[in-house]
Amino acid sequence: MSVPQYRKAAALALVAGLGFSLTACSTKSGDKDTNAGGKVTITVDCQPVGAQKELLKNWNDDVAEFQRQNPDIVVKSVSVGEQCNNPPDFTARLAGGTVTDVFYGYMTDVQQVLDSGQAMDIAQYANKDTIPTWDSIDPALKEVFTDGGKLYAVPVKNYSMGLIYNKVLFQQAGLDVNNPPKTWADVRAAAKKISALGNGIAGYSEYSAGNTGGWHFTSLLYSQGGRVLTEDGKKADFNNAQGKQVLQNLKDMRYGDNSMGSRQLLQWADLLTNAGAGKVGMFIGAPDATQAIVSQFQGKFQDWAMAPLPGQDGAAKGTLGGGEGYFFKKDLTPEQVKAGMKWIAYQKLTPGKGQFDYVRAKPQNYPVGLPQPLLFANGSDAQKQELELRKANANVDTANFAIFEATPVPIKGEPRNAQAIYAVLDAAMSGVLTNPNANIDALLKTAEEKVNQLLAAES
Amino acid sequence: MAQESGTRTLISQAQLSRGRGRIIYWTLLVVVVTGFTLVFLGPLYWMVTGALKSGQEIAQTPPTLFPKDPQPQNYIDAWNNLELAKLLFNTFYYAIGAVLFQLVFDAAAAYSLSKLRPIFGNVILALMLGTLMIPAMVLIVPQYVTVIDLPIAHINLLDSPFAIWLPLVANAFNIFLLKRFFDSIPEELMAAALVDGATPLRTLWSIILPMSRPILGVVAILAMTAVWKDFLWPKLVMPSPQTRTVSVGIYSFAGGTPMNVVIAASVIAAIPTVIVFLIFQRNIMSGLTTGSLKG
Amino acid sequence: MAITTVPPTSRTAGRPPSPYPARPQRTSLGRKVRDNLTGHAFLIGAVLCFVVFSWYPMVRGIVMSFQRTRRGETTWVGWDNYSRILADPSFWPAWQNTLYFTVLALVVGYAVPFFVAILLNEFRHAKGYLRILVYLPVMLPPASALYLFKFYAYDPSDAGLFNAILKALHLPTSQWMQSPDMTMPAMVIASTWMNMGGAVLIYLASLQSIPGELYEAAELDGAGIWRRIRHVTIPQTRLILALLAMIQIVATMQLFIEPLILANGAGAEDSATTVAYLIYQHGFFQNDLNGAAAVGVIMLVVLAGFSAVYLRLSAKQD
Repeated sequence: MSVPQYRKAAALALVAGLGFSLTACSTKSGDKDTNAGGKVTITVDCQPVGAQKELLKNWNDDVAEFQRQNPDIVVKSVSVGEQCNNPPDFTARLAGGTVTDVFYGYMTDVQQVLDSGQAMDIAQYANKDTIPTWDSIDPALKEVFTDGGKLYAVPVKNYSMGLIYNKVLFQQAGLDVNNPPKTWADVRAAAKKISALGNGIAGYSEYSAGNTGGWHFTSLLYSQGGRVLTEDGKKADFNNAQGKQVLQNLKDMRYGDNSMGSRQLLQWADLLTNAGAGKVGMFIGAPDATQAIVSQFQGKFQDWAMAPLPGQDGAAKGTLGGGEGYFFKKDLTPEQVKAGMKWIAYQKLTPGKGQFDYVRAKPQNYPVGLPQPLLFANGSDAQKQELELRKANANVDTANFAIFEATPVPIKGEPRNAQAIYAVLDAAMSGVLTNPNANIDALLKTAEEKVNQLLAAES
Repeated sequence: MAQESGTRTLISQAQLSRGRGRIIYWTLLVVVVTGFTLVFLGPLYWMVTGALKSGQEIAQTPPTLFPKDPQPQNYIDAWNNLELAKLLFNTFYYAIGAVLFQLVFDAAAAYSLSKLRPIFGNVILALMLGTLMIPAMVLIVPQYVTVIDLPIAHINLLDSPFAIWLPLVANAFNIFLLKRFFDSIPEELMAAALVDGATPLRTLWSIILPMSRPILGVVAILAMTAVWKDFLWPKLVMPSPQTRTVSVGIYSFAGGTPMNVVIAASVIAAIPTVIVFLIFQRNIMSGLTTGSLKG
Repeated sequence: MAITTVPPTSRTAGRPPSPYPARPQRTSLGRKVRDNLTGHAFLIGAVLCFVVFSWYPMVRGIVMSFQRTRRGETTWVGWDNYSRILADPSFWPAWQNTLYFTVLALVVGYAVPFFVAILLNEFRHAKGYLRILVYLPVMLPPASALYLFKFYAYDPSDAGLFNAILKALHLPTSQWMQSPDMTMPAMVIASTWMNMGGAVLIYLASLQSIPGELYEAAELDGAGIWRRIRHVTIPQTRLILALLAMIQIVATMQLFIEPLILANGAGAEDSATTVAYLIYQHGFFQNDLNGAAAVGVIMLVVLAGFSAVYLRLSAKQD
C-alpha cells in the first residue's frame, strides 16, 4: 500500500472514530474542578421552572444574597422540571449518576438512593456549625434519613395529609366554610351539595392512575384506622372492613350520588388542574397542594382551606405523612459538603430567610400561614420564631387551618415497597371509580392476592 | 405522479367513464373526499379551535363548533411556559444530526460490505441483520445502562445528543437498503474507476453516491421520522428540561399545565413539520413510495 | 423482502469479480486488515455503534436479568428476577392487553390502510389531496395527536367530541378510556389514525407496480371487483403485505406512548397496561432495572418464537 493511500485511510478511520471522541467533549465536566480560584462550587437542583416566575425570582435572589455573604462559595442552580421528583426522571438521574452535588429527594426515596450508591454519609458534617438550627429540627425527621447510624440527607420539609376544600364553592353550595366536614359521611353530604352546582364541578375528587390512586388509598385507609401491610410487613392487611369502607365511600359518592365528576383515571396534575379551574370542591392532600394549585395551575390561594383528614365516625384514626430532604452526592470534598449544608441552612432552615421569608412572600401570589413545613421540634426556638413570623405575615386566614393544627392526627409513613403496592391498588381505585357495577369484595381480594404475591417474590 | 398516464388499475378507465360506473365513481369520490376531510382535517380543526376556548367552554355540552370567546392567550402561554422554541430547536437538531450520522456511517459501511470485501463481511452483515428482529423495547434497559456508562470509555452520554445519534447509527434496515442498492451498481463501473487510479473513497464520492441519491433520500426521511416519532428513548436519555424533545416536553408539561394550554402547545409543535411536509410533500411522497419499497 | 430499488443504470447479469484484490490465502489477520485498510475503515463506525448500542446491550440485558443491584453492589441471583416478574400481578394482564391490541391492530390498523390504498388508487381525481390528508397525522408529534384524542375525543362526559357525535346520532355514549372494554379499541383507533399514512403510501406504491394486464385478463374471465382483489391485488402485493404485517406486529408489541398518555399508564383496572409499560414501571418507578431487563428478555423470547413460526409458515407458502 502506497504511503498517501495509507495516510488517507488513517484519516478515514479518524473520521469514523470522531463520533466517539466528540462525545468525550460533550459530557458534563466541572464535577471535579471545584476549587478554581479558591472558590468552592456546588450544584443544587430543584430550582423553580421559568413558568413559576416569582418562585424563581425568590430562588435567584436567595442565591445572590447567599453568595454575597459567602464569597468563597458558588451555587449553581439546576432546574429539573416542575415536579422536582418525578419518579421516572429521578430514577434516571440516579441510575445515570447525573444528580447534582446536592440533590432533592423524598423521604420514601431513601432506599432507592442507597441502592444506587449515589449518596454519601454526612453525619460528621451535620451540626450547629454548618446548620445553626440543626438541633431544633425534629429528631424524627433526621431518623427517616438515617440508616445504620449514617445520615444521608438534611430534611427540609415535612407534611401530613388533610382535607383540602374550596371555600368559594362551599359558600355557593350554602355550606359553612368554618365548619368543614369531619367524617366521611359529612364529606359525602357536602360533595352532593357542591356537585349540584353543576357546570362540571366535582364535589369530591380522587386519584386512580399513575400510582397516585394507591397512594391516596393508603391515606384513606389510615383515616379508617387500617394499615396496608401487617406488622411484620409480610402480608397485605387491607382486605377487611376498613379497606371495604374506603372503597364503599368512594363508590357511594361516585355512582350513588354522582358527585365526583365523570372524568376519572386522574393522576397528580389532572386533579390539581381541575382544582385550579375551580372544578373541585374537596380532595385530600398535603398543605403544599394548595401552593401547587396557585403556582402551577392558575388558582387563587384565597379560595382554599384545609381541615384534618375526616374519619369514619369522628376524627381520623391516622393520616399519611411524608417529607423531603437534600442528599449529598458521593465523593464530594468536605468543603463542598459544608458549602452545601450552609446553602440549605440559609435557604431552607433559617426562620425569616429563603422558604421562611414570609415578609417577601406575603405580597406575592403564594399562601403564607399554611400549617407546614413542620420541620422544627415542638417547643424549639426555631419553631417559635417561625410560628411568630408566619402569624405576623399570614395572607391566608389562619382560622382556616386552625382546626387542622388543633386536631393532630397520628401520622403514619408509607408501606415498604410503596410504588409496587400503589400500582396494584390503582386497579382497585380505578375499578370503583369507573365501573358502576364494581364488586368491592372482589377488587380487594384481587389486590390482596397480588400484594401478597409481590411481597413473597420480593423477600 | 405515476398514474396520470392511465395505467390500468383494478377497475378499467372505460368502466369508470361510462353511465352507471361514472355516477358511482363521482358519488364515491365526493363521499371519500368529504369523509377523509372530516376524519383527517376535522380533528386538527378541533385542536386549533379547541385551544382557543376557555376552560368553561371546553366542558360545555354539547361542544361548540366555533370558540365563542377566543383566548389567544392560551397559545402565548404555551409558547412561553413550555419554552417551545427550545423544544423544537432540540428536536430538529437531533433529527438533522441523526440524518448526518446515519448517512455517513451507514452509507460507508454499506459501501464497504457491498464493494470492498472486508474480512468477516458476511458474518458482520448477518449479525447486523439479526438485530432487525429485536424490537427496541427489548434493549431499552441494557441500552440505557450502557449509555449512562459507556464500556471501556466510562463516558456518560445522558443529556448529550450523541445518546440519540449513535444508537440510531446501529440501524440494520438502513444498511440493508443501502447495501442492496450498492449491490446493483455494476462492478464494471468500479473496475473502470480503479483502472483510472481512483481510490475507493473517490469512487464512493464521485460515482456511487451521485447514483444513489434516491436511496439516500429515503434513509434521510426514515432517520428524520424516527427521531420525530420516538418517545421513550429521548425521555430516558434526555432527562433535563433543557435537552428534551418536543413530544417529551409536551408530555412532561402536561402534568403541570391546564388542558387548553397543552393542546395549544400541541398545535404549535405540529406547525413546523406540517409546513416542511407541505413544501416537500412531492419529494417525500415519491421518495417513500417509488424510491424504496415495491411489492 | 422485496426491496428493488433500481439505480439509473441497467443491471448486469451475474457478478464479475471485484476489482479489489481478492483475499490472499493464509495470511495473518493483521495483514488482511492492512491490505484493505479503506474497506475496514469505512466499516468501523457503524460496527462500533452496533457493538456498543446493539450487540453488547443484547448480551448485557440477558446477564442483567440474572443479577440484582442493591446498594451499588451487583450480585448473581439466578432466576429470582424472573420469579418476581411472573409474580407481578400486572404481568399476565400486560401480555393479554398487548396481544389483544396486536390482534385488533392487525384487523383494523392493518386492513384499513390496505383498503384505503386500493380505494385511492382507483381515483383519477383529488389524488394528491387525499394522499396528503392521510399522511398529515403522521407529521404531528405523537404526544400532540394523543392529547387531542385524550382531551377532546375520548372525554367521557357528553362534552367529548365522540360522545357528542354519538348522542346526536341517538347512539349510546361510551366512557372510552374509563371503560375496560373500550380501552384497547379506543387505543387502536387513535393509533391507526396517527400512523396509517405511512402504510397507505407503501401500499399505493406496490399497487402501482401491479401490471394492468392481470386485471384485464381477470376481467375477461368474468371476475368481479372482489374476485379481482382476491386473485390479483392480494397475491401481487403479498410480499409487501407480509413485510408490513411483520413490522406492524413488532411495533404493536412495543405499545407504550398510547397507554401512557391516553390511560395515564395502567388504565381502568389494568386494562391498558402493556408489556412495554411494565418494563417502564419496573425500571423507572419501582427501582428494579433488573426485573425490567427480565421482562425484556421474555419479550425477546416470545418474539423469537413468533418469528420462527412466521418464517416457517411463509417458507411453506412459497
